[in-house]
Amino acid sequence: MNHSTSKTLNLTLKIWRQAGPDQSGALKTYTLTNISTDMSFLEMLDVLNEQLIANGEEPVAFDHDCREGICGTCGVMINGQAHGPESATTTCQLHMRKFNDGDTILIEPWRAKAFPVVRDLVVDRSAFDRIIQSGGYVSVNTGGAPDANAIPVPGHMQKDAMAAAACIGCGACVASCKNASAMLFVSAKVTHMANLPQGQAERSKRVLSMVATMDAEQFGNCSNTAECEAACPAGIKLSNIAQMNREYMKALLFSCE
Amino acid sequence: METGSARPKAGLIDWIGLRWFFLLLSSSIGQKFVMGVTGLLLCGFLVAHLAGNLLLFAGAKWFNDYAHKLHEQWEFLIIAETGLFILFLAHIYLAFSTSFGNAKAREEQYAVKQTKISGRVIGANTWMFASGAVVLGFVLLHLADLRLGADGINLRGFKYTDDAFGNTLMVLKNPISRAVYVIGSIVLGIHLSHGFASAFQSLGLNHPKYMPLIKIVGKVFAVVIAVGFASIALFAPEIWRGYVPVSH
Repeated sequence: MNHSTSKTLNLTLKIWRQAGPDQSGALKTYTLTNISTDMSFLEMLDVLNEQLIANGEEPVAFDHDCREGICGTCGVMINGQAHGPESATTTCQLHMRKFNDGDTILIEPWRAKAFPVVRDLVVDRSAFDRIIQSGGYVSVNTGGAPDANAIPVPGHMQKDAMAAAACIGCGACVASCKNASAMLFVSAKVTHMANLPQGQAERSKRVLSMVATMDAEQFGNCSNTAECEAACPAGIKLSNIAQMNREYMKALLFSCE
Repeated sequence: METGSARPKAGLIDWIGLRWFFLLLSSSIGQKFVMGVTGLLLCGFLVAHLAGNLLLFAGAKWFNDYAHKLHEQWEFLIIAETGLFILFLAHIYLAFSTSFGNAKAREEQYAVKQTKISGRVIGANTWMFASGAVVLGFVLLHLADLRLGADGINLRGFKYTDDAFGNTLMVLKNPISRAVYVIGSIVLGIHLSHGFASAFQSLGLNHPKYMPLIKIVGKVFAVVIAVGFASIALFAPEIWRGYVPVSH
């Protein structure tokens, strides 16, 4: 994408508007003028909403919280790409300098059966919460802090666990997958804990339970197209899915769970 | 850790101890695992089948000797064909099952969808069900041509004899058959170009040390299989144009 050279942009926005979960929605066109290239994408939407409120219209509902790219609350499809054109970037960290004067920007909510639209660009991602509730934690009592180096963790295991723990649960993997599969999200949670000593006690039960919940929530299957990896703002790798596949098959065939 | 609500209550399936088998064929990961295993085993069949069929280039004696020796071992053949049938059936069932699940997982489509993988050409990995369906159609036709049939007439009405070499040339001499065989081989290659490497990922065999090699081997394998089978359909009838079928 060409970086914009002008200081302000005039834009046409096409935004999905839907009054409620059971209402039908449609794309609505808006025009914005004099948008600073220093604005973030969400600030641009703030400007639109102030304009809508001033005109007595309903503002566009969208999810956001920290606006620092770490909470995982924001996320919309921008011109058909989860979190927009930049790699490893959340919607809030996308800046308007990545767009050009006169651009038309199409904004849609995440689309998946498991992520029903609540309103406009806001979707219900509680399916992710239910997956976490079914095993994405450690419930064994690990006691007081052990002596340093008493429990050796190989460097590469620690790095893999840390990289997997970077998942912010935004749902871009589901949104970008042609099958609306949640494999990248679930695999990040499974491998994060499977690679650390604290996660061992519940290792088999965790993966069986989380995958069962993932399936029950009606996420799709993995076709190994790697769109999730490309869309992930936290850099979660496809190799996590392979490890989850191993963990699942080991637990299914060889554990007592 | 509490057992998740998604875990079903104990039933008959637990009593007979087959919960694991049920999950193997019904869970998302179990299904892709079986898909990968059956796919790779079918790749093994392709290697054996291509090796045997390349004898068509060696001549009638070589090919007929091979065909007759293969069919003499009928006990082995029953086991092999039953195994192949089960592999195909499982692979096809899982294709339908996963594809239906995928279609249900996103009912409302995006107005616009773009890839975020730079340089990605939407190709084989998007069309696995479609390419698989074409391959299935081709396999059924191929079986009707050269495997099924009785009393010297196959299901398409070709008369055939003990001369396996002559039978094959007879099928391939028909220009429509020939075109279908070439197209079938190429679509099979497209299917394999994603399927081979993807099977390893589904089996959890993704390793930074080996994945680049697996991907390359997958593409090379796809080309070898496609070119190998297509070359038989294209050139064998030309090379043996003057062949007179032996009738017993």
